[in-house]
Amino acid sequence: MKPTLSSLLDYYYESMYPLLKSLEEKRLGILSTLKKAALILFCGAILLFFILTHTPLLIPLHAFLLSALSGFLIFMFIYRYESSGYGILFKDGVIEKMIHFIDPSLLYSKMSFIREEEFKKSTLFVESYDRFSGSDLVSGKIEGVDVHFCGLHVEKKVRDTDDKEIWNDIFQGLFFVADFNKIFHAKMVILPDVAEKNFGILGSWMQGMNTQRGELIQLDHIEFEKLFVVYGSDQIESRYILSQAFMEKIVQFHKKIKKPLALSFVDSKIYLALHYTKPLFEPILTRSVLEFNYIKEYFELLVMITGIVSEFKLNEKLWSKR
Amino acid sequence: METFLIVIGLLLLILVFMYNTLISKKNQVDTIFAGLDAVLKKRYDLLPNLVSSVKEYMVHESITLEKITELRTKALTTTLPSAETIALDKQISSMLGNLMVTVENYPTLKANENFLHLQGTLNELEEQISAARRAYNQSVNDYNNAIEMFPTNFMASFMHLKRKELFSIPARERQNIDVKTIFQK
Repeated sequence: MKPTLSSLLDYYYESMYPLLKSLEEKRLGILSTLKKAALILFCGAILLFFILTHTPLLIPLHAFLLSALSGFLIFMFIYRYESSGYGILFKDGVIEKMIHFIDPSLLYSKMSFIREEEFKKSTLFVESYDRFSGSDLVSGKIEGVDVHFCGLHVEKKVRDTDDKEIWNDIFQGLFFVADFNKIFHAKMVILPDVAEKNFGILGSWMQGMNTQRGELIQLDHIEFEKLFVVYGSDQIESRYILSQAFMEKIVQFHKKIKKPLALSFVDSKIYLALHYTKPLFEPILTRSVLEFNYIKEYFELLVMITGIVSEFKLNEKLWSKR
Repeated sequence: METFLIVIGLLLLILVFMYNTLISKKNQVDTIFAGLDAVLKKRYDLLPNLVSSVKEYMVHESITLEKITELRTKALTTTLPSAETIALDKQISSMLGNLMVTVENYPTLKANENFLHLQGTLNELEEQISAARRAYNQSVNDYNNAIEMFPTNFMASFMHLKRKELFSIPARERQNIDVKTIFQK
């Protein structure tokens, strides 16, 4: 049975509520600790400021900056320590329960994420990276289709104009892998069409010249062509994967999600990367877990992800794939 | 003199670029046509099996089956130009489509394991043929545009390049149909 919002409401009050109440107490406890820590650190920073201004070594501005920064750093340390403990409890009590409510056969591991080899194999992001991290790996079969997904954060270390080290995001968001319903040997990547959108025909020409990802595949679906650019190693097989009906489904999915979407097809698998600006399943400390609308947001996100299988009809396998 | 040489050099470069563009588009059409031909051949290879497994059940469709066999022989014995291959494929596709509709009238055939397997493989091949047709049409469209647009049209007429024919995509493939109708239930 497909999980609905009303069935979640019943589950929320029957199975989750007692646990959420104790989680809420914990959250309020952490908030109170943080408030106290902030107050103590604020007073400590003022005291430090007065001590430093009376030393001949520092001018008042430097003394202010030093004391404010020390206070802030100590506060961030306490915040991280407290919130990570809460994050683990939240994932055990809310995310894991919700995943099992949606599909009891799915396995959830809050600390795991997909292997780097799999990320590389997808060829969705060809840029080199320096940090690869993630969390919340969900794996199993949805409607008979092998699926796994997680939150992923891939970054690159660069130096800014002042030679300071900064971390740039290559990808942050949902990374989803599933068996595709057709067998194919070619590689194909579908990316958001930035060049043609910004530079028109010139952008399209530039895309044709870019052979890094294979040949440019021009498709016979006007709306899809406006939204995406497709590169593939085989003109015919790329169209075998991207039937008219499938392109329409991708367009509708993109309209519904309203987030930058990239897809790739390698070794009879579909890889999907959906950009998010924040971690997927991390809790917000300032929001009460007893607020149903807050819990609902995570539920809707999980339903959207697990629904990709039926949305793209990955369960309707072709003859030779059965 | 120098300016003259630069202009001549530039003109030559443009000519080479136009020539190469036309050749690459022509070759692209040929490559994709070869791919399409390969998938069509796969279907032709399947037809004798299909005909032999259905003929004992479909006694009233013997004319259709004979026609399919005849078309297959024609397709395999001669090297046909692309326009004829297109016409032949159109005929076979339509006959097979009709045949699959009439299968509904033969319940014993519908339950036959061998036939079901053939039907499944045929459906899959139809999907591949459809993809190949679309790829071919796109490449022909690019080629036709190149030989008709200014200024490559002058070079094309000099090279005796002719317009190529497009596949007419069956209406059912153009619509966003429910995949269930294509996929085996």
